[in-house]
Amino acid sequence: MAHIHLEDGAFTPAWTIFWNLVAAGMIAAVLISLRKHPISPRRLAIAAMCTSVGFAIFQIEIPLFGGVHLNLTPLIGILAGPALGSISILMINVFSAAVGHGGWGMIGANTIVNMVEVVLGYYGFRFMRTRLRRDRFVSALGATVLALTVSALMIVLIVTISGVQDSRSTGIETFQKLIVIAAVNIAVGAFEGLLTGYVVAFIGRIRPDLLQEAEADAKPVESAAAVGG
Amino acid sequence: MSTRSYSKHIPDFRLVTHFAESGTSIIHAMSPWTKAALLGLVVALATVLMNPILLLTLFLLTLLFYLAAQLPMKVLVGWYTMPVLFVVTLAILFVFTEPGTEIASLRLGPTTVRLTDNGILLIVKLLLRALAVVTLSLAVFMTTKYSNIAHMAQKTLPGPLASVFLLSYRFLFVSSDEVTDVLDAMNARNGNLVRGVLRESKLYASIFGLSFVHAFERAERIGKAMESRGFTGSLPAAGTLTQPSYGGYSLLGVGYVMLVLAVYTRYFNPGLLNWW
Repeated sequence: MAHIHLEDGAFTPAWTIFWNLVAAGMIAAVLISLRKHPISPRRLAIAAMCTSVGFAIFQIEIPLFGGVHLNLTPLIGILAGPALGSISILMINVFSAAVGHGGWGMIGANTIVNMVEVVLGYYGFRFMRTRLRRDRFVSALGATVLALTVSALMIVLIVTISGVQDSRSTGIETFQKLIVIAAVNIAVGAFEGLLTGYVVAFIGRIRPDLLQEAEADAKPVESAAAVGG
Repeated sequence: MSTRSYSKHIPDFRLVTHFAESGTSIIHAMSPWTKAALLGLVVALATVLMNPILLLTLFLLTLLFYLAAQLPMKVLVGWYTMPVLFVVTLAILFVFTEPGTEIASLRLGPTTVRLTDNGILLIVKLLLRALAVVTLSLAVFMTTKYSNIAHMAQKTLPGPLASVFLLSYRFLFVSSDEVTDVLDAMNARNGNLVRGVLRESKLYASIFGLSFVHAFERAERIGKAMESRGFTGSLPAAGTLTQPSYGGYSLLGVGYVMLVLAVYTRYFNPGLLNWW
């Protein structure tokens, strides 16, 4: 759900350029890291599939609180890894901008928020599986809730810093208004965490090899919830 | 041409591609480079312009562009729902607290909600900006063939980005169909997305999980097929791209002069607009 639903012109030109430059820097770092390990056709196809399924699910608006949708970005991070997952969410944002689901100028801000979700989703899941030895359901739930809570707060931070163009609200006023949206995002994030937990447990039962990268060295632990998927 | 989408309010990539591949308008014949540069120009103008009349003019010009492409208005109006919803969701938080001349007020217990002229102006400007860009963006994608988009992506994006972009564009149709199948099945059984997702989260998790597993299996098959055909890391582009015509260059020239003027007016000489 964490996604800045702003259209073009909501930020001033300076802030639009700034967030896009930051996102470009982050994507450049990802591309440099990918140079060290050439992408196999299989991984490339997996990233493309994550993009297309992610985009398809992204478009389903659930009529709650003015329209929310699931992102499944932490799930994409867990399945595709942080580097390919980041490229995947950038492409989801490009396709979304093409159809008016967020502006072209907002791709930078949205990519920053979504990259945080992908990276925290992946490393959070990995940490819980390998260090804390939690089962798949709990690890995916914890990682997703963490990722979406942080990203919801990041949205508030980005919009508060940038301000809404033409609005005379001060930074504090903007923050107070957006914190309501953040609370909704965190609540939906908790639900998405539950769903991601079940999805990961389900995938773990029928195709555990798909989670191989994210849970390398993990001791096999399965709980009743995970088996219930 | 069958159309399968979640609703008439969400742009359907299949329909977008159909219009792009079958249209014969003057906009279809325009160079894809010109259209891409125009899209960048409109995004920049929508961000820079502050005057509501100029924003309205920009929106009307993009609408004219859409109509010149002989694309259906009914479809566009339906697809406006999402950007309008996003703008209203944000603006509703600001619209009642903007300082300005009070137009209407409503007493709700101990507090009074006031609507001011600046509040209305804020929502109108945000809407005009959003709709101008969405109209042109859809017009560009509904008039540019896949092969041309593929060519442009390869020329402008780094290798991995271009490959993921092109492959996912191809996969979009299958993935969308799969998700639409799930929604159709749910609707056919009198299901409700809100009630269903909250109560049947395990069931939905299996559905979403299965969508991802199917997607991965398909990706693995495609990966093997690509390897067996000697894939070297980048997808080859077929065909050629037409360069902008003199008319295209002129249009872009005028547009970018307008952008420079808009930037100058906004940051260096705000009084310049008062001449009219």
